[in-house]
Formats: sequence, C-alpha cells, structure tokens
Amino acid sequence: MNFDFTADQQDIKRTAHDLLASRSSLDRVREAAESGTPDAALWNELRDLGWPGIAVAEEHGGQGLGTLELAILLEELGYACAVTPLLGTVLAAAAIEHGGSDDQRARWLPGLASGEITGALGPADGLIPDAPGAGVVVALDADGGARLVDPASVEAVKTIDPTRAYGRMRADGTGAGEALTGDVAAGVDRGAIAVSAELVGISQRALEMTLEYVKERKQFGTPVGAFQAVSHRCAQMLLYTESARSATYFAAWAADADADRLAEGASLAKAAASEAGREVTASAIQAHGGIGFTWEADVHWFYKRAQLDATLLGGTGTHRARLTRLVAGRRAGAATA
Amino acid sequence: MDLTFNDAETAFRDELRAWFDSHEPGPEPRHDEDAHWRWRRDWQRQLGAGGWAGVHWPQEYGGRGATLTQSAIFFEELGRAGAPLPADVLGLLLAGPTLMVWGTDAQKERLLPTILSAEETWCQGFSEPDAGSDLAAVKTRAVKDGDEWVVTGQKVWTSGAQYAKWCMLVARTDPDAPKKHQGLTYFVLDMEQEGVQVRPLRQITGESEFNELFLEGARISDDNVVGGVGNGWKVALTTLMNERAGLAFFLQVRLRQQLDKLIDEAAARGLLDDPVVAEKLGDLHVRVEVLRLTAYRGLTAIEKYGQPGPEGSLTKWMWSDTNQQLVQLAADILGADALVADSPWAYELLRARGNSIEGGTTEILKNIVAERVLGLPRMR
Repeated sequence: MNFDFTADQQDIKRTAHDLLASRSSLDRVREAAESGTPDAALWNELRDLGWPGIAVAEEHGGQGLGTLELAILLEELGYACAVTPLLGTVLAAAAIEHGGSDDQRARWLPGLASGEITGALGPADGLIPDAPGAGVVVALDADGGARLVDPASVEAVKTIDPTRAYGRMRADGTGAGEALTGDVAAGVDRGAIAVSAELVGISQRALEMTLEYVKERKQFGTPVGAFQAVSHRCAQMLLYTESARSATYFAAWAADADADRLAEGASLAKAAASEAGREVTASAIQAHGGIGFTWEADVHWFYKRAQLDATLLGGTGTHRARLTRLVAGRRAGAATA
Repeated sequence: MDLTFNDAETAFRDELRAWFDSHEPGPEPRHDEDAHWRWRRDWQRQLGAGGWAGVHWPQEYGGRGATLTQSAIFFEELGRAGAPLPADVLGLLLAGPTLMVWGTDAQKERLLPTILSAEETWCQGFSEPDAGSDLAAVKTRAVKDGDEWVVTGQKVWTSGAQYAKWCMLVARTDPDAPKKHQGLTYFVLDMEQEGVQVRPLRQITGESEFNELFLEGARISDDNVVGGVGNGWKVALTTLMNERAGLAFFLQVRLRQQLDKLIDEAAARGLLDDPVVAEKLGDLHVRVEVLRLTAYRGLTAIEKYGQPGPEGSLTKWMWSDTNQQLVQLAADILGADALVADSPWAYELLRARGNSIEGGTTEILKNIVAERVLGLPRMR
C-alpha cells in the first residue's frame, strides 16, 4: 500500500508545475482568454515535451505512460488555467485508443500523440471542448456509442469560459461519422478522470489564491482569515479539494492497474471533482469579497473553467446516480451468486 | 502509487480473517448496558488471548508490532466481521500508547498488561463542565500532601467511568503558572477509592455511555504522575494525537455496512429509480469511499514522511458529517418505520448527533485545519 506518487511521477508533477508557472502566468492566461486564441507558443512547447501523447502507446508514437501520469499533467494544466487544446486532444486519443479499431488507431493516434493535429471529444448533441480547429472530433451518442465526425461539421460556440474553445455539431452533420466499435466506455471513463484531475488543479489554485488573499486583506483591523466565518469556509474548501484529489488519484490508479474498478473510479472522481470545482471556486470569489467579482481579479477564470469542466462527460448528479446503479447492481449480484 | 496490499499485509489480513472465522463475539445484548459492556469485555478477552488486542503495540509490551497499514487492516476487518470494538478502546488506543511514551518502567509494567487482557479498563478525565474543548481551562486541582496528591474537582463526558479501574486525569498542580497550560499535570487515578464518585449522564439515546466524575479528596501517589509534574499539557497532547489514529478505518467500515444496508432497504422499496434517492445514495457512496481513500493517503503520508498530511485532520470531520447524513437519509427512505423505538436506525439517528461533538467538535476541527494546515491567522 503506497498512496503517493512514485519518484518519477513526482518529477513529472514538479517539472510540469514549474514549466507552467514560468510559461503560463495568469497574465498570459488573460491575454489568451481576452483575445480568444490559445497560447500557441505554450502549445508548441508542450508538443515538444510530448505531453499530448503521454498516455498514448509507444507503438502509436506516444510515451506509453498511464492515466496517472496523464492526470498529473491535467492537474497542473488546471492549476495554471493554461489556454491550450491539450484536454480535447488527450480525450480524443483515449477514446480512439480504447474504442477504435487497429486501423483507426494507426490513422489518428500518431498525429494526436505528437500534437500535429488536435482532437476533441464530447456529446453529439452538446458542447464539445476544444472542437473548433480540431483535426479529429469524437462525438458521443446518447446510447454509449461514438463516431469520428468531420471537423468541418463543427461550429464554434462562445461559452462563459474564454480560456477554452467550444464547439457543437451543426444540425445537419449529426447523423454522419465513422463508428468506433471497441470499448468506448473505457476511453470515455479515462477522459472523465482527466477532466477530474483538471478540476483538482483548479480547486487547488483557487484555494491557494484565497488563502493568500485572506491572510493579507484586513477588515476591522484584522486579517479576514482570522474570522471563523472565513477560515471555516477555507477549511471546507480544503475538504472538497482533498476529497476530489483522493478520488481522482484512486481512479487514475485503477485505470492503469485494476480495470474492473475503472467505471466506478471514474464516476467517483467526476462526482467528487465536479462538486469540488464548483464549490471551491465559488467560495474563492466570496472570500475575495467585491474584488473577487471584478474582471481584474483572476479568480473568475477558475470559476468559469470549473463550471464548464463540471458539466463535461457528466456532472455530479449523473455520476452519483451511476454509482448507485453500480453498487446496487453489485449487491444484487452478490445476493443471487 | 500502488493501492494493493503487499505480501506481508495480505498475509496479516488472511490470518486475521481465518481467526474471525473461528471466533465470534456472540449475539449483541440490547437494552442492557451492563450486559453490553460485559459482552464487549469478553470479546476483548478473546481478542487478547488470540494476540489481537493491541495489534499496534510493540511486541515488548505484548502487541504484534503491527505497521500502520496492518492496524488499519485490523480495524477494517473487525468492522467487516461485524464484530464490536474491544471494550477498552481508551486503554488500547489512548492510555497504553501514552504510557509507552511518557510512563516510568514501573508504570508500564504494572498498567500495560491488564489493558490487553481487559482485566482493568480506563476512562479519560480531560473534559470539565467549564472546559469542553479547552484543555488549558482545566480547574480540577491536585495539591501535594507528603508523597501523595489530593484531588478536588469535577470532570464530565467521562465514558466508561462506571466500569473503569483507572482514569487518565489532567489536573492543575500550579495555579500560579504564568501560562494556563503550564500548570497542568497528567496522573493515573485509581477509580476505586472513596474520593471518586461516578454519576451517569443520561443521553438523548436513553443510555448512559458518559458520566460525571466528582473528585473530593481523591488521592494519587507520586508514583502515578505521568511525564513529570507540570508537563500535563504535553502528555495530554500525546493522548489526543492518538485519539483518532486507526479507529478511522473501523468507523469507515461501519459506514460502508450501514450504507449497504440502506441501499438494500431502498432497493426493497423500489426506490432506486427515484432520482433523488439515487443521487443521495450516490453522494454517500462517494463520501464513504473518499473517506476510506483519504484515510489511506494519510497512512502513506505518516509512513513516508513521519507525519500526517492535511488528510489526518479531515477524516474525523468527514466521518461525522457523512454518518449524520446517512442516518438522516435512512429516515427519508424508511419513513416513520425508521423512528420506532426498537429500530436500529432510530438509535443511530440519535447517537449520530454526538459524532460531531465527541472527540473534537467539528468547529474545533475546522479551527485546527484553518490554523495548522492552512496557516491562517489565529482566530479572533
């Protein structure tokens, strides 16, 4: 039993953290978000480092590492609120790697792994993150199936989150596309874990920004962090963040080491992380007071991204209900076995 | 990261499971506290005879020298077997480990063996009517008289006092000390003497798990000072730090069992398709799993870095919150049936209200998290 990263994984985390701290400051995030264009220089650098292919098999040009390493990168990406198409690209790669045919894998994974093309994955009838400009788009149907659809059939959609591009399928393009016939769910569940990891990073950053603020900001002659109404809110933010972290790390480990627990792990992670992301970023704005409500303060980028992430691949409610079905099914199975 | 048990841990678990298969606590007596106590004490004797009473104690004191993970496995398996906690949890988890750190050789020799065998059990004399969560406000006085101390004062919330032979007592020995926590001393008080009076406190469940303790001229020999006169604060912190370690896993497994029972109840009533019920049960499942996982993360932090991470301060708070929500949902799912007097859910519903008060109130835990984990300024 060792519920902590290996030395290699800690290195990846530290390296990713330091790189994003120097290349994706909140000033850069603001610039990219306000101009509505991803940070191209950052994306090129991440491509050179092999980030898009971290979890893609080596035979397809990836680094052949696991969901845990992918989660580590996504957590740091969320912590920085970096404006890149990495999330969509790794989600598409996971779906094609697990849900695609040999031919589909050979055709798409090398480009996604190198970042030569970007990818996107999302519901056929809803918002798809990183879809505008993607080289391959995986559309999920309500019945659990998935199709590779023509990126030309995607139209850009403005959301409340300007740190990420969103698109949706044009009404006339929803019927077409080449089906993925493999284990789509195994890919989508890994995707849900990646989104959860991003939410953990968002929560962690929002908590840290808040702590820094409430230690400095004085009201009635005392730092506001000394008031229990504020400090207890911060304690609650930590509880949410650590809960999401425990669930997400477990899920990522299960994806690599114990595939029988992947589905449950993914729902556990997404339920906990979606809740954490929303609650923690909302609390961050409240604890910042009026400043937190302004465009000038950076805390809103995290709130906005958390709101969208919390809905991707199913929100808290969807995943809680799925967990109840899984657990009840297991108990019913045990009773009849 | 590797969340599987290693060979030694698996072997430990399998040996324990085999033992549980051939040993049973017998049926739980209900509505009779004395019988209930005897039942748990007999169970502890069985555990002790099998070498399972103080698994985390070093071998030199009669324990198994189990690692933290093995201790966690012990409590998990105890819960999974549906067995009760041993009677003298306070002796095994608090008094024993405190004496191992601070006690004299004579104290260890005299007091440790009878904890394991459940021959003599313990209570904890920390809380006072005017000092709930504030240990430095202790008023009970101990005054030197020859080679003895004479104790006067009142303690409260003393669980198990009616059965205890010994009490971990914190008393004020220097009322003039410049700081309030400097004038405290930690004693082992013999409960079987004239100056000690135990008065049961009836709780909202109708039971008397807790007591008031009146000390009027109770005597403690010099030999029963623990850790030196005036060091009571430090010694008591050792006790408090031990308070929640390990037990988290037993409580977690109990939660799991209760939740599974509730899911079965909901299924039997055809309520699993009710979206509100499904969401709430799913929420509880997330909480119970997160509690288990977070507790394991805490163990890894202690094993790797020698001290708990932020996880340690969070688990008791998470547990009490989750348990309270679980029993409340049971009342929604079972309706009034959950509230009839002999329903186990009715008892749990009432008992759970104590969870966020005993062993550190949720408010105090939040203060600790805010100040010690998050580094926020001291409360105003």
